[in-house]
Amino acid sequence: MSLSRRGFVRTLGTGAVAAVGGHILGGGRVIGPWTRDFGEVLAAQSAQPLLLLHNNENPLGPGEKAIAAMRGKLTERGYPAARYSSQAGELAAAIAAKYGCKTENVIVGCGSTQILRTATFAFASASKPLVGGTPSYEECSDVARLIGAPVKAVPGTSTLHHDLDGMAAAARGAGLVFFDNPSNPAATLHPATAVTSFVERIHSDSPDTGVLIDEAYHDYVTDPRHKTQIPMALETPNVLVARTFSKAYGMAGLRVGYAIGRADTIKKLRELAFNQGTNVLGVAAALASITDEARLQQEAQRNAAARQFTIDWFAKNGYKSTDSQCNFIFVDVKRPAKEFRDACRKQDVVVGRDFPPFEKSHVRISIGTMDEMKRAVGIFGQVLGVKAVAA
Amino acid sequence: MSVSRRAFVRNLTVRAAAPSATFIAARGREAWVGEHGSDDQAAQAPDANAQAAVRLSSNENPLGPSAVAIEAIERAFAYSGRYPMNAKPAMVDFRTLIATRNGLKVENVLLGAGSGEILDTAVRAFTGPSNGLVSALPTFESPARVAKSLKVRLDEVPVDDAGRLDLEKMAAAATGAGLVFVCNPNNPTGAVRSADDITAMVTRISQASPQTVILLDEAYHEYVTDSSYATAVPLVSKFPNVIVSRTLSKAHGMAGLRLGYAIGNAEVISKLGRWTMPYNANAPVVAAGVVSVQDEAQLAREQRRNTEALKFTTDFFRTAGFKTSDSQANFIWINLGRPAREFGDACEKQGIQVGRPFPPFEKTHCRISIGTMEEMQRAVGVFRSVLGLTTPTAGGRY
Repeated sequence: MSLSRRGFVRTLGTGAVAAVGGHILGGGRVIGPWTRDFGEVLAAQSAQPLLLLHNNENPLGPGEKAIAAMRGKLTERGYPAARYSSQAGELAAAIAAKYGCKTENVIVGCGSTQILRTATFAFASASKPLVGGTPSYEECSDVARLIGAPVKAVPGTSTLHHDLDGMAAAARGAGLVFFDNPSNPAATLHPATAVTSFVERIHSDSPDTGVLIDEAYHDYVTDPRHKTQIPMALETPNVLVARTFSKAYGMAGLRVGYAIGRADTIKKLRELAFNQGTNVLGVAAALASITDEARLQQEAQRNAAARQFTIDWFAKNGYKSTDSQCNFIFVDVKRPAKEFRDACRKQDVVVGRDFPPFEKSHVRISIGTMDEMKRAVGIFGQVLGVKAVAA
Repeated sequence: MSVSRRAFVRNLTVRAAAPSATFIAARGREAWVGEHGSDDQAAQAPDANAQAAVRLSSNENPLGPSAVAIEAIERAFAYSGRYPMNAKPAMVDFRTLIATRNGLKVENVLLGAGSGEILDTAVRAFTGPSNGLVSALPTFESPARVAKSLKVRLDEVPVDDAGRLDLEKMAAAATGAGLVFVCNPNNPTGAVRSADDITAMVTRISQASPQTVILLDEAYHEYVTDSSYATAVPLVSKFPNVIVSRTLSKAHGMAGLRLGYAIGNAEVISKLGRWTMPYNANAPVVAAGVVSVQDEAQLAREQRRNTEALKFTTDFFRTAGFKTSDSQANFIWINLGRPAREFGDACEKQGIQVGRPFPPFEKTHCRISIGTMEEMQRAVGVFRSVLGLTTPTAGGRY
């Protein structure tokens, strides 16, 4: 993979003011001391809001309950914002209650990113490779390279599903298998039964190998054959399920994620984790949201409709997408992703980065609101040179 | 306090005693490091009692973020759903601001989930089997804890009689080391080393051991009143292996919000940046940070407030015959001549939480964070009772 997530951030790091500029607070109004030394940075930004369809975010953000909980932290007696906090313990308890386990089965992190990184530290090493699919989410493989652990990247199938047979075979003697289900960027899913036998196969040959199942997009799955593997993680040694509040819960900016597993597995992570990664606002928002099943379902329905609309639009115009179970699609636009991306960007629509080895043909497009996707397909039509038919 | 915070939490869960909310909640940078509270998240949720306890245990700003910072946080709620690089202001905006204010470029600045993340990852990034960590004793324990967990060599150089870092011995120990951790002002002693002394140390290490990275933790920078002190940030332009870390957790009042940063040569910052989490700063705290670091009037007020309450507390202990270090931070370090645990437990019973034990001084010294003047007035009443001092007569002295 040529451009890791890490590299992407770095690229943004030097050019982000121009790259993501636009939606300035208060419709371009700039308030307070912010302007003092720094107004020119904001002034350089375009006033036209960009349509951000590149990071698989929930376009609606968190619910009112979450915002109210955060606001409450700002006025609560004792200034919790100023205090080092163990509220992640309270959140761990709420997560444990949700899944019927104990807090010793839960670790909370600064997004699931921290979980993925810590699991790689815990299970992979120079003598214990990391196994993953390709294309896949790169956090674990990036960290594996950092610590000098070999990376075995197993190419996906023709339908862009992870090759579970190939990955299970590669797992013998490995430190950690990273398995995102549904996967990113391909958006494809393996049904629960296949996942169960995949893990059994890995452990029959290689019982000490960790298996990290990343269910970041779990709440968006509509395929009825899907089930969370949290129950398996609670029973099976060396299995972890990672979850995040960044996607369906709409809290990418608040940095809260978690992992669930047997107490002995979670303990391995705790021993290595930087344990001040979460912030009181994010934790408060997560606590207020985790029991809000109605909103979660509403979000899943909203996304499914906008996702279907977008997939249908591409299909009608002769462009095939994978069977997406996420809040993004991976579509064969029959041209380099960069070419498509740059052309969209000129019209204020930002789509996903390159995902080698598919950077010559496929682009990942995150799903915004229905209105946003209607606007986006108009742009896509122009860029692809098709008649911008309404779906 | 009788035991490390972590052990305390564990005891509570075992004994099922009713924990005071704030005590349990105090697991911060300041709380967990002694022995890494790895099972803190399993701690029970605090009960609602004891809200009135005065927390002088974690070197926090008792007044919280400023009003303009709170306003910025609320505005940033609109970006909760966006990754911190897509929010406005974005992580890069804060980095650019810090760079601009220091006459540097954006690639000289790296963010952390508090400076705690910077410290942790620096040990991972710059030490190894053949190049260890040089730290002090006592000092902020986080880097040493990580070094121990990675099983790399650890040299802890005792502070001098005044609680100051022994820069000469640390420099001597630095040859061949991967990382030298210099906490200035030093936590828990509060003692500061002058800008000239720091420059001399950095120069010496850079000549004798050019591969060694020097991490200068200036967490308490904004509280320093000693005119011999100055930030080491200007050194990063002259020395490629110097990193200065700062935090918004102390004078900026944002310990619960998690933002810190590192400043250094682009190459060393890039190396460190491979080890930090890519989206480690949350959208609201970035917004708060942008306004807070520019609000010099507010910082000056906070420094004055702290200096007054620090002086009040220092005067109390000195008048009562106890020796304290010359603190340049928002805490004091006192030789009470009795175990920190014994003193802490007794204070806790009267609603005052003080700092954890700091070996090898756990039998004699205690660190007490500085709260508001009102809190310190209440606290010295408790200290007086715990230490068995006579109650002053009206208008009398301690």
